[in-house]
Amino acid sequence: MSVSQAYHILFTAGLVWFAILIAVMLIKAIIGPGVTDRILAINMIGTMVICCILILSVLLDENYLTDVALIYAMISYIAVLILATVYIPANPKRKRFGEDVKREVEEGRRYVKEQRAEIRRKMEEEGFKGSTPPDMDGKEL
Amino acid sequence: MLEWILFAVCALLLFAAMVSFTGAVIGAIRFGFVMNSMHAAGIGDTFGILCLVVCLILSIGPGLNMMKLLVILVFLWFNSPVSTHFLIQVEYFTNKELYRFSDRIAGSKTNETASGEEK
Repeated sequence: MSVSQAYHILFTAGLVWFAILIAVMLIKAIIGPGVTDRILAINMIGTMVICCILILSVLLDENYLTDVALIYAMISYIAVLILATVYIPANPKRKRFGEDVKREVEEGRRYVKEQRAEIRRKMEEEGFKGSTPPDMDGKEL
Repeated sequence: MLEWILFAVCALLLFAAMVSFTGAVIGAIRFGFVMNSMHAAGIGDTFGILCLVVCLILSIGPGLNMMKLLVILVFLWFNSPVSTHFLIQVEYFTNKELYRFSDRIAGSKTNETASGEEK
């Protein structure tokens, strides 16, 4: 077996493995529960497709495929950036947005406080004596 | 004989790239929280692409194609942190349940900065 045949087998194995990984990440992009999981999966698919194109450019000995990979990298980057800016508010320090977030934070704090008060009440019912875990502000309940 | 040694080094580097990308994929699936998945994805974006490009450069030798491969490597190294930064911002602004993680992850400081106030 010559060296070129060995390289051919090596790069083909790499291509097959990357194809399997891309298929797995495609399933992850479909089932991903949130927006960010899906964008992350698309980002990883883009990186692995770039790897496939680079391996192909060496395997087929076609130099122009490297340029294709560079353009693909740029387009993948721009796609992730634009998809991200859809969900990021233009001015996060705007007053209305800050008030919304503040209200949500207050709801969250109240939720945590209620949960911990309930835990404390249950512990007292069972006759537990000792220090309780501190509140989110660092104070004891 | 020398070219077979070069082939062995190439095979080792390609294997390292495949292993790191496999780790990235497994991490992206197995980690529940998306910010942990981003950490796993960063392994493939940096170490995996480095191993792959060095493997290809060793197999083709010096030339114009080598420079283009290095340009792609540098481009991806600059892009990956920026993409991760934007994705974390997306998670920060879209996840309404983040405050439940916040006392577990970073204490109450996260909630203070979430209100959008000037420090």
